[in-house]
Amino acid sequence: MNRAPRSIDEYLRQLREVLQGADPALIQDALYDAEEYLRAECASHPEKSEADVLELIASTYGAPEEVAAAYRDTEAKVNAALRPVIPRATESPNPLRRFFGVFSDSRAYLSLFYMLLTLVTGIIYFTVVVTGLSLSAGLAILIIGFPFFLAFIGIARVLALGEGRLLEAITGERMPRRPVHPGARIGFWTRVGEMLKDPRTWTTLAYLLLMLPVGIFYFVVAITGISIGVALIAGPFLVMAQHLGWDFNDGISVMQPAVLAAPLIAPFTIALGVLILTLLMHAARGIGRAQVVLARALLVKPGM
Amino acid sequence: MDESHARKFQKDLNAGLVALVLLGVLSRSAEDLYGYEIAKQLQKANEGEPLFKEGTVYPVLRALSANGLLTSRIVPSYSGPPRRYYRITAEGRAVLADWSGIWRQTRDFVDRFVEGGDE
Repeated sequence: MNRAPRSIDEYLRQLREVLQGADPALIQDALYDAEEYLRAECASHPEKSEADVLELIASTYGAPEEVAAAYRDTEAKVNAALRPVIPRATESPNPLRRFFGVFSDSRAYLSLFYMLLTLVTGIIYFTVVVTGLSLSAGLAILIIGFPFFLAFIGIARVLALGEGRLLEAITGERMPRRPVHPGARIGFWTRVGEMLKDPRTWTTLAYLLLMLPVGIFYFVVAITGISIGVALIAGPFLVMAQHLGWDFNDGISVMQPAVLAAPLIAPFTIALGVLILTLLMHAARGIGRAQVVLARALLVKPGM
Repeated sequence: MDESHARKFQKDLNAGLVALVLLGVLSRSAEDLYGYEIAKQLQKANEGEPLFKEGTVYPVLRALSANGLLTSRIVPSYSGPPRRYYRITAEGRAVLADWSGIWRQTRDFVDRFVEGGDE
């Protein structure tokens, strides 16, 4: 049992301690809420010192242990309610069902969509960071250089939060829902110093830069997989349709090499197409999970 | 009497009731409220031994919001981090009406055995 906290910082530190090991995003939210309450409580009792206000906090807001328990319980309950346990084909003991079960997993489709989207977001992130950094450097000799740099870091954090929300929507993995708020009530310059010293500031920029090459890679993999898979499946049917007298104005229904659409080979061609699409869906799901791990490592404050 | 029995019972009761009370508070309020205001309103209505700690209000607010029963917006504040203001949605009102019915039914049922057991 911790001794009763005497200041807001101490309370938040104890709360963080008690929540150790919980989801980093949950910890970030819990600290954020606690700080909102504690600061509002102090502000509404200007006649009392922070220590006096904190003395009563255990009986009003709750001790760090109680608050931590409330977050853990609610999170578990909400997750259970929002994601009802449905028997998923991906957990079937039959390996064939498990393999093709990926097509009934909405997360796989969402991840595939994310792979296509990363090209767009990657370009945006990269442009913002490169423009922001070079303009900050270029304007550094002018008085607006520094405020510009701060605004740029702020934008980068908003982008990082947005990316986290996007990843949570796609993979269902918990990501922060609130921005990080610096714990202590400290001066402007101290805060700026903390921000520059905070490794998360720089890993966030690295993540945003990294998303361009990664996004290009994801996009190419997704587009290549989809086009080859769909072409292999549809090709033989189109050739067959043409043989049956279906007229394509521009004559696109030619499959090269033509042997792929030959009657005896066609079933294997189609099967290969299905296999490629299925593998792509598995790859997409895996990439979605890997991306969450990467985002957690670079965007969410470590040790929180 | 062991104090921990009472606390455990109260905690089990609160599990669903805090959400119902929060929906009620927000449906009666003409304007959007943020966490601290809601917590204070409840505290005022709850003189003496509090039924639940104000800290337990926040995670429930977030859960209701995640379920689409509340919407929220963020407003900067001078006294601390930006505040999140909550408002009840149409779905939230529907759920509140539903839950109020269940609550009344439950309360009457329990009272038949606990309070007015001499009928």
